[in-house]
Amino acid sequence: MNIARRSFLAFLIGGAAGTALSPLPWKLTDDLSIWTQTWPWTPVPPDGEYSYVNSVCTLCPGGCGITVRKVDNRAVKIEGMAGHPVNDGGICILGASGLQLLYGPRRVKAPMRRVGERGEGKWETISWDEAIAAAAEKLEGIRSAGNPQGVACMVGDRYGTVPSLFERFMTAYGSPNFMSDAAIEDSYRITLNLMHGKNAIPGFDAGNADFVVSFGSGVIEGWGSPVRMFLAHGKWKDENKTLVQVEPRLSNTAAKADKWVAVQPGTEAVLALSMAYVIIKENLYDKSFVAENAAAFEDWRDDEGKTYPGFKTFVLNGFSPADASKVTGVDPSLIVSLARSFAGAEKPLALCGRGKGNTPGSLHEFMAVHALNGLVGAINRPGGVWAIDVPDYVTWPKPGLDEAARAGLEKPRVDGADGGAYPYTESIISGFADGVNSGSAGYGVEALLVSGANPLYTLRDAQAVRKAFDSIGFVVSFSSYMDETAAQADLILPNHTYLERRQDVPAPFGLNMPVIGMSRPVVPPQFDTRQVGDSLMGIARKMGGSVGDAFGWESYEACLKETMGAAWETLEKDGILVKADYAPEGWGEAFNTPSKKFQFFTGAYRHGENKDLMSQMKIEGEAADFPLILIPYDSMRLASGPVADTPFMAKTIEEDVLIHDDVYVQVNPATAASLNLREGKVAELTTPVGKARVRVHLSEGIGEGVIALPTGLGHWANSKYIAGKGVNVNRLMSPVADPVSGLDAAWGIRAKLARA
Amino acid sequence: MKKAQEHTAPKKYGMVIDLDKCTGCGACMAACMAENNVPFREDETDKNLSITWLRVYKLTNGKKFPNADVCYLPRPCMHCEGHHGHSPCVSVCPATATDYSYDTGIVSQIYTRCFGCRYCMAACPYHVRYFNWWDPVWPEGMEKMLSPNVSVRTRGVVEKCSFCFHRYQIAMEKVRYEGRAELAEDEYQTACTQACPANAITFGDLNNHDHAVYKLKTHPDAFRLLERLGTNPKVYYISSREWVRRQGDNYLENEGKVVAKAH
Amino acid sequence: MDTALIPEGRKRCPLWQFVLFIAVVGAVLLWGVYAMILCWLKGLNQTNMNNAYGFALWIWADLAVIALGGGAFFSGFLKYIIGKDELKNLINYAVIIGFICYSSALLILAIDIGQPLRGWFIFWHANVHSMLTEVAFCLSCYFAVLTIEFIPLILENRQIDKVRFFHNLSHNMHHIMAVFAATGAFLSFFHQGSLGGVAGVLFARPFGFREGVLIWPWTFFLFTWSAAACGPCFTILITKITEKVTRKKLVKDNVIELLAKISGWMLLTYIVAKIIDTWYWAVVTAPEAGFTMMDFYSNNPLYGLWILFLEIVLGGIVPALILITPAGRKNKATLLLATVLAVIGVCVNRWVMVLQVLAVPVMPFESWFMYAPSWQEVATTILPLAYGAILIAIAHRYLPIFPQEPELNPVEQQAG
Repeated sequence: MNIARRSFLAFLIGGAAGTALSPLPWKLTDDLSIWTQTWPWTPVPPDGEYSYVNSVCTLCPGGCGITVRKVDNRAVKIEGMAGHPVNDGGICILGASGLQLLYGPRRVKAPMRRVGERGEGKWETISWDEAIAAAAEKLEGIRSAGNPQGVACMVGDRYGTVPSLFERFMTAYGSPNFMSDAAIEDSYRITLNLMHGKNAIPGFDAGNADFVVSFGSGVIEGWGSPVRMFLAHGKWKDENKTLVQVEPRLSNTAAKADKWVAVQPGTEAVLALSMAYVIIKENLYDKSFVAENAAAFEDWRDDEGKTYPGFKTFVLNGFSPADASKVTGVDPSLIVSLARSFAGAEKPLALCGRGKGNTPGSLHEFMAVHALNGLVGAINRPGGVWAIDVPDYVTWPKPGLDEAARAGLEKPRVDGADGGAYPYTESIISGFADGVNSGSAGYGVEALLVSGANPLYTLRDAQAVRKAFDSIGFVVSFSSYMDETAAQADLILPNHTYLERRQDVPAPFGLNMPVIGMSRPVVPPQFDTRQVGDSLMGIARKMGGSVGDAFGWESYEACLKETMGAAWETLEKDGILVKADYAPEGWGEAFNTPSKKFQFFTGAYRHGENKDLMSQMKIEGEAADFPLILIPYDSMRLASGPVADTPFMAKTIEEDVLIHDDVYVQVNPATAASLNLREGKVAELTTPVGKARVRVHLSEGIGEGVIALPTGLGHWANSKYIAGKGVNVNRLMSPVADPVSGLDAAWGIRAKLARA
Repeated sequence: MKKAQEHTAPKKYGMVIDLDKCTGCGACMAACMAENNVPFREDETDKNLSITWLRVYKLTNGKKFPNADVCYLPRPCMHCEGHHGHSPCVSVCPATATDYSYDTGIVSQIYTRCFGCRYCMAACPYHVRYFNWWDPVWPEGMEKMLSPNVSVRTRGVVEKCSFCFHRYQIAMEKVRYEGRAELAEDEYQTACTQACPANAITFGDLNNHDHAVYKLKTHPDAFRLLERLGTNPKVYYISSREWVRRQGDNYLENEGKVVAKAH
Repeated sequence: MDTALIPEGRKRCPLWQFVLFIAVVGAVLLWGVYAMILCWLKGLNQTNMNNAYGFALWIWADLAVIALGGGAFFSGFLKYIIGKDELKNLINYAVIIGFICYSSALLILAIDIGQPLRGWFIFWHANVHSMLTEVAFCLSCYFAVLTIEFIPLILENRQIDKVRFFHNLSHNMHHIMAVFAATGAFLSFFHQGSLGGVAGVLFARPFGFREGVLIWPWTFFLFTWSAAACGPCFTILITKITEKVTRKKLVKDNVIELLAKISGWMLLTYIVAKIIDTWYWAVVTAPEAGFTMMDFYSNNPLYGLWILFLEIVLGGIVPALILITPAGRKNKATLLLATVLAVIGVCVNRWVMVLQVLAVPVMPFESWFMYAPSWQEVATTILPLAYGAILIAIAHRYLPIFPQEPELNPVEQQAG
């Protein structure tokens, strides 16, 4: 017994000593350090050959040049393209994280047909031939049943070859219901149409302005071409220029501005006109411009001898600072000093369009602000607003129409954008749902094609939009990603992402020179996707007849090449075509109004003179039921267009915007106190069209009685990194049609907030 | 060529961030994440658990509407020099996983050396150090965008801003290959500096008279964060607003206006 | 059943009682082990720590148990170096408590680090400037010493002692124990100090930072001092609890009172030093960094001046005064109260020096960082307590820990 125990112990001790002296523990230790540095589940990015590809970002209408760094066939980083006329090396947060869209988890990897209930997420992957045939067959069926007008189409951008192909398709097919996403660009276009007589988009020579008054424009929050505006803002700081922000809420732009004028929401136009009052009253306006190049400043008479009040009379009769102060809440002395500084500046510039400019807004506000620019002569001159002709390089001959097409095109539009009501407006995407639901056009909508847009998310009054969608039997999405609209579609014909396709990028909004960009395949298509132009042409050709004949091109690329003509080579080489020596038109050609002059707005309207030009834009809801006013606010860190936040962006959402899945509503502490709400408390936010769970964030950046929610949250179909977080403010708001343009002019909605 | 290198003067890379220009847009953060393979998770709303090498803070002046004001303050690693390289974090690391380079002034972090004791995080008053509480996970396919220049970290180690040191290495390789003595100012820029759409960030050698940062750091409105703790950070801020400068450091009530010191 | 293992001349509770106790405490232990395994397998996301709060509950527990385990080195120091021979009657238990505390501390550190498999980098790639390196080295060495001190005790088990080799080993080890005790005391002085230095050297954390001499901040000395003062209190407290649980007197009063008296004077001198340190910090060190003392004790839901009162007055001055008064330490109730207060005092001190340091906002635009532990942290922190209770129970049952036990509790005619 004793011996056994002893030998056992000897064995144990000897063994231990032996092991310790052997290489084993050292080897194991060494291995440990290697293992813990290279777990098999931690990716090791492979090295390879580095290359750089220049292209154009199309995630927003900004049109920035990008340089994509590649390692072999992988794109690893997107950077701003140095020397690019729009962004000169800078990049925004969405652009910088674009690879997360390319390689993201919500790509639609092949054509898919719905097999479950709508929105259930059950799909079958089909071949491209099947997908094209399915779409063509359905569309042909509707057409041959005599209802071609019952097919509607929504596109994101208005200009360029792809939207034009869709427009052409709709024409050849025989439906008037071609719509594009609306934004402030549309309101500006109508403004320039009415005041300059030009089919033009505005270019802002912002970098050269020295006193900028922004009426709610998110100059550093995504308005215009975002990076370009950031650069202009930096230049103002460097050169000690002045930025005045007129806005009800302390936005980032307001915070960065030299002066924040906290105005009552929705009364910006009144403030602009009151500034005009001071400028006119004190004789501070640009007399030579007004006298020589403007009309309808003084009272005027039409051909029939009828007299109309001029801008001067109009303004002096109701917009004194004292009167305006009552509406806007801005101190009269501030209005006076602001007007004086503005008129006294060498290169003043007034900007319009709230936030990022995703909502077209009230036309009278645009015209009031543009009139301010006119008063100080900030038109077509350095530091001012330039009217840049809309991109006109798509010059295809009109498609031949058959009988069915001609009949269909005669029918009224579903969105109400034709006829007498809104003569200046091409399409009113915000009016579509109402048109479908009310059946006002006199026919049913049976099919909808959606490309580059995400109406189920971006359109207001989501319930009505959803109802309209539910009534449409056949929805085709061309989205690259499983966004909200694609998730509700019946058929998805996925487009390449912007990093996999070649496509023209027409002038970015707000750039004061005509530019055409060309985005090109940075990487080969990652999945079985197809350039949307080719998909559309495929459907048309499959349908044959006059519809097929309208698309004679061999492929989208052939179409693009033919369309670009002489510009093709430059675009291929440089990715951009710039008219660098562009100068605004001289006064002789600048205005194409009946007077050939700049029209102050009392003389601008050529139809519907009876409209109350300066009526206040009312929002939905009554104060008695809904004591608060809810306004949306934009942030660069929240993509609020068709594309949702990338995971990187979601990481940067601030702690006072979102906590877990709850969004914070900004509330003035006094308002919160009156509602017995404290910081961080859960509350129920109710508007006339919806309700939502929110958390309260006390903020001194917002006035009493006003509350604010961020845009860009509340996605439900996207990747888990953004879906299910917060509330889609579009769901809580309803569109309000502008009396002149018919476009959505809602700047807010009445609301109430209660403890939950 | 070797000789030329030996005579290269020690550099002190640093940053000057113009808070008047900074728009708080977050492009620098995204550029940093993309450049440095920073992981992301489903819920990143708890900022104390979210890895953002460059974090943009929002400062408020505490006044009531409509006199309230906010200012954004991007905060990369300060690459503190302390006294002669005695930065708060470097000296406390038990495993020499973080180091102060006298050649570049950059505080490095060796992920494979770090064993995750987090002492450096406790030492850093700027919260620039981030712990990998979770294994990084990229959704299928997204690992394709990972850059081979920066190693992917594992769970349980600390990571932080490196002033994109790999860019310095790549630039220096080129300089050596071409037999030059010095790196030009624009040859080595951090990802955030490059991305900033507002041109608010300037990066360069604080010792080099020809670099923009050399002059900018002496701007009358320039200040550094928590300067009086003796961290001697290499990131400078410029703000024309007194309340912002005052929030750059702690002051007793009786201490007067914050005027920037000449450096 | 296990009578053969029970030391001669000592009475122990029935086996079923013992087993029941082990089972109950063992369940708690298993809960802790489960939490520990979760932390190892799933990572530290199981805790409520975050990037602002990188040290949390169990690091406090770590510092606290090391301070409380200070009874081992200080009793050793008193017995072997100063020559307070009476303490031989308590030293065994002090060593066991120390062993439990230090092994717990090491276990906690192994759970706490993000990459436990390469924890040894602290030795391999040691940075000599880091207080934590100093802690790791001294802690491991001292743990080795404690193990060596513990081994002869184990060897005294009746059955083991029968083996001649072990008997001799034990005998020889006892002879050289003074050397180890001295080494242990030296190591302990250092690592207790370096633990104090952990927060004290953080010059960018104004709440923790202290000035000092050479490379050592004042907290270095205060930590050693407070451990020496309060560690013995914990030894006394645990002894008293053991006596209560086993329902018998194990150590003579004069031994306890001697240790209590020394502890009292240590505590008194410590608390005077601590007050001076706090005062200097409040009026000189902190204001230089732009802070007033009240900045550290206001605008948050937890940390207020009460914490200073609890630590310094209730946990320092009061027990010190009780213990230096003969009547105070002779009275069972006040003695117990004093040891409890002293233990609370030192635990609060460790909490403050680890966790409040992280809670205080340093950048002016930040607010306080508050923290509540997750259940995994709580379980992992309770784990050492359960483990300690079990080890003490086993040790007490099978080892002759208290030399005075047979004398104080004569057994009629029990034989092994």
